Order: sequence, then C-alpha cells, then structure tokens
Amino acid sequence: MRLLDHDEPIDPEIAASLDAIDAVLAGEPVDTRYADLAEIALLVASEKPAAPPEFARSLDERVALRFNPAPAPASVSRRRRSSSWFWQAGGALAAAAAVVVAIVVVAGSGHGSSSAASSSASVTSAASSAASAGAGSGAPQTLDASPGHAARSSAAQAETATVPPTAAATTASGSASGSAAPTLQPPTTGRKVVQSAQLNLTAPSNRIDDVAQQVYNVIGAVNGIVENSTVTQAGAGGYAEFQLSIPNASLGQAMSRLSSLNGAQVVSRTDSSQDITDQYGKAQRALADARALRTSLLKQLASATTTEQIDSLKAQIRDAEASISSDQATVNRLNHAVGFSQLSLQINARTVPTPVAHGSGGFGIGKAAHDAGRVLTVAAGVALITLAALTPIALLAALFWWAGSAVRRRRREQALDAA
Amino acid sequence: MDHALVRSEGVTEMLTAPPSAPSSWARFESLYRSSRDDVYAYVMTLLRDQAAAEDVTALAFERAYRRRRTFDRRRGEERAWLFGIARNAALDELRRRRRVASLVTEPAEAESASDPDSGEVALRRTAVQTALAALPAREREIVALKFHAGLSNAELARVLGISESNAGTLLYRTMEKLRKACNATA
Repeated sequence: MRLLDHDEPIDPEIAASLDAIDAVLAGEPVDTRYADLAEIALLVASEKPAAPPEFARSLDERVALRFNPAPAPASVSRRRRSSSWFWQAGGALAAAAAVVVAIVVVAGSGHGSSSAASSSASVTSAASSAASAGAGSGAPQTLDASPGHAARSSAAQAETATVPPTAAATTASGSASGSAAPTLQPPTTGRKVVQSAQLNLTAPSNRIDDVAQQVYNVIGAVNGIVENSTVTQAGAGGYAEFQLSIPNASLGQAMSRLSSLNGAQVVSRTDSSQDITDQYGKAQRALADARALRTSLLKQLASATTTEQIDSLKAQIRDAEASISSDQATVNRLNHAVGFSQLSLQINARTVPTPVAHGSGGFGIGKAAHDAGRVLTVAAGVALITLAALTPIALLAALFWWAGSAVRRRRREQALDAA
Repeated sequence: MDHALVRSEGVTEMLTAPPSAPSSWARFESLYRSSRDDVYAYVMTLLRDQAAAEDVTALAFERAYRRRRTFDRRRGEERAWLFGIARNAALDELRRRRRVASLVTEPAEAESASDPDSGEVALRRTAVQTALAALPAREREIVALKFHAGLSNAELARVLGISESNAGTLLYRTMEKLRKACNATA
C-alpha cells in the first residue's frame, strides 16, 4: 500500500466516518449509520497492548536516573554513539585541517608579499657574510691573484677577479664606509704588471652630482687623471661614468676612498691584472736594436765616400730613427700602463627608500596600536580563509547528511513495507 | 478527547520533578508520564515482539531525552515529535530484523483464552484480532497510532509525514478493510 503523497480535499463520507471514530473513542454517542464502525473502533482500541509491569518499572528507574548509567539497551544505541563520535571527530579534523591550511596560506602570502621588499636586505646579509669572511681570511685577495697566477699569466692573458658585492656593511648602513675590501695587489717581483679595475656605485638620484664631485676630489688627491667623464643628472634618474688613470702606488688608497664616498654604495667591483713583462722586454730590445742600428749607420755614414753611399745610409738612418721613435713610444706606453692603473667607474641612480618612522624606537601606544592592528588583520585573514576552506566542506557535509537522511528514510519505509 | 487523562496510567511517583529542575526536564518528564504506555503499545503493535518492543520503547525515550532541547514547538506537538522518534527506532529495528532474518514473534494470545466477554462479543473480538493480524505493517501502524497511541489525525499525519487529509483517508480505508474482514468472518 502506498501512502498518498498529495493533499486533496477529504471526502465528506470519509470525514463523517472519521468524526464518528473520534466520537466513539471519546465516549460520545454516534449515529447508528456508523455503529458497525464504532464497534470495530472500540474493539481495536481494547486490543491495546499493555506494558509489562517489570519493564515499566525498569524504564521508570532509568528515566528517574536520566539515563545516566546508559546501559546499552540495544546495538542501535551503540551504533548511534559510535556514529556520533565519528562525526564529531571528523568535524574536528576538518576544522583543524582548515585552520592549518589557512595559517599556511596566510604565512605563505605574507612571505611572498614581503619578499620583493626584502630582497635587498637578503642580498645585504649574504654580502655581509661574504665581506666578513673576506675580512677575516683575506679570501677576496686569493681569488685569482695567487703567486702562481702571476707566473702563469706571463702569456699576457687578462684575468679578472670579480669581487662579490663587497660593500656589504656599507649597504646595510646606507653609506659606504671604510669596510670595503682592500684593493687587490698581485705580486710583482720585478715583473711588469698592468692593473685595472671597474667600480660600480649607486647613489640617490638627487646626489649624482655630489658623488661625482667627490670622485673628482679623490682623483685629484691621488694625482690621478680623469681621462674622460660623463655625468647626467635627470630627475628621478641619473648616471655618471669615469675613465680614470691612477698611479699604481695610489690605487689602493683611491679604491678605498672611492668605495666610501658619502652617499654612495658599492654594487660591484672588478680587479684585473695583466703581466706584460715579455711584451715590455720585446719593446726594450727592439728599441735597443734600433738605437744600435742607428749608431752603426751613423758610423758608416761618417766613413762613406760616395754620394750614393751617403744617400743610402741617410735613408737607412731615417728608417732606424723612425723605428726608434716607434719603439720608444711603445716602451713609454707600457711604462705608463705599468705605472698607472686604469679605473672604470660607474655611478647609477637608485630610488630612495621611504624612511620609516620608528618614533623613539621603544614600545609605545602608537607601536602597540600598530602591532594590535597587524594582529587583528592577520587574525581576520586566518578567519576568512578558514571560512572559505570550511564552506565547501560544510556544503559537502550538508549534502552527505541530506542524502544519508533520504536514504535512511527510504530504507525505513522499505522495511515497513516488507514487514 | 483529552489524551492526558486516559494515557499511561500508573507511572511511578518517583518521577515527579523537583521544583528546581530545569524546564526541559520537566517537560520531558511530563511527556514520559503521559506517553510511556502509548509508545509501548504502538511499538508492540508494529513489531509484534515484546522484547524488541521494550528495547525500542526505552531507546525512543532515551533519544527523546537526549534531544529534548532540540524540540521545536513550531514544528508540531511534543507527542507527534516523540512518536516520530519511536517510529524511526521501530523501523530501524525492522531493518535490523531483515538483515539478521530473525524470527518474528507473534503477540501472545493468552488474554483471549481468559476473555470474560459474552460469546458474541468474544467472537467479534477474535474476528478483530484476526483481521488486525492480517493487516500489512503500514496499515497496522496506522491503527496503532490512532487507537493504541491515541494520536489525533493531525498528529498521525505529522508522524507519518503526510497531510492530515491523506492520513484520514488512509485511516478510513484501513477501518473499512477491518470492517469487511470482521463481517466476512462473522
């Protein structure tokens, strides 16, 4: 038999019969038309099973104790309790997982947003450690400038020693200090070595001119030469480039002072050296040979008798003198190269970080309010992400609960039909 | 019909709530006193197994006690709510029986042997008992809810989850079925 699943107006005859049933159950008289129905109703009502006295007394006691001892009356009760425990544990686990996910997401996003801003700081720390290591062990000096290196470089191959962002401490403090790595000095041991260096600095865009003037001052103080320079000051940008010649003896002092210019920071520094002993020796020998040839030719000219001999010797002497001039120029150039180091200096503008107002640096109401706001923001973020994570879980749980209820209801009805 | 006056008589006086008891407990205790025998009668008629009926009745009241604070009067009367819990527990028992395929114990008929009624009345009573026993479980449930639990048609509809007119129609059809069966026996 199927239950009616739609509401419809009840038939008057049925309504009258139902009224008669209710009346007879209430002990009221009914119309004789429903006497038969009333009799059956009374007989059915009289068939009501009575609760056994032992059971009634036992149940009364349990109710009086408010079911506290909770003796498991049936396996159904045990299933209910285990099911309840399962759902509670599942819910707690889901909530804990959502909170953990939220914290991880918030922590991850916080790190990501600040990574860009703190990149310079991380570089600074790395550079700082490198600088401290270098200061303690002299590591930068040994990069490519070992004694063996000088010997191996006799083939006049330029070698470059790139120093990592050396001005670590100066970068951290915002101004270059004397903690820059000392200038590399390859061992000469009487050999002819050409030294060169490249220095990259940054300075606030509004201080390019000031830093450039400091460069001029340093070069003048060490008797160096500014071979060419370019200084551009342009609003938020700015750029300066110098090609400098510095006496070898003053290179270390110059590099130290250039690395500690007021308002400038060292970005990178490159030291190079080139052994030109062989090249210098060849030039010296060529010059000596040319001079000897000219001396010989002059002697021959003095003893020449014919016009043809005299003309030929004069031509040879001119050629020899030209060679002497050329070789002398080469020797002079090499001497200058050995005596003066070439320094390429670049200054680039950098953006000026917005100063952070730290107040007095101690703990105050303002700082406390700021920290409290930060804590509340993070807490709100965690709560929001937790809510976002829990919402689909709750929807799924509601869906499962609804489906489970429907299935359970259907199975119950099926059990009733099958009974 | 005032159900409270005729239902569940003889409940032990020790259940009287102390003055300081919470209202939810007082309501539950009152509901228990008025419904204990009715719930048992309904479950017994449905399951036709005394031991199972006792277990299910106790379980129903325990569930009702645990959930007493979730009762919402706007969704119906407390008796309908209680019989809904009892019905679910009874149907779960029926499901369990299906799984374990246990034997179903027929209700004892000892009372019929000592029936003091006259011959004709005894004959009619036997006819009704036979007709009741032949009813399907769903119709037997309607009879139990109406005549043994004493629910009104509205409460009956609420427990079964159908409209009141549908509940009335189902009750009428079941009564017609019983009447015809009894007349046929006579």
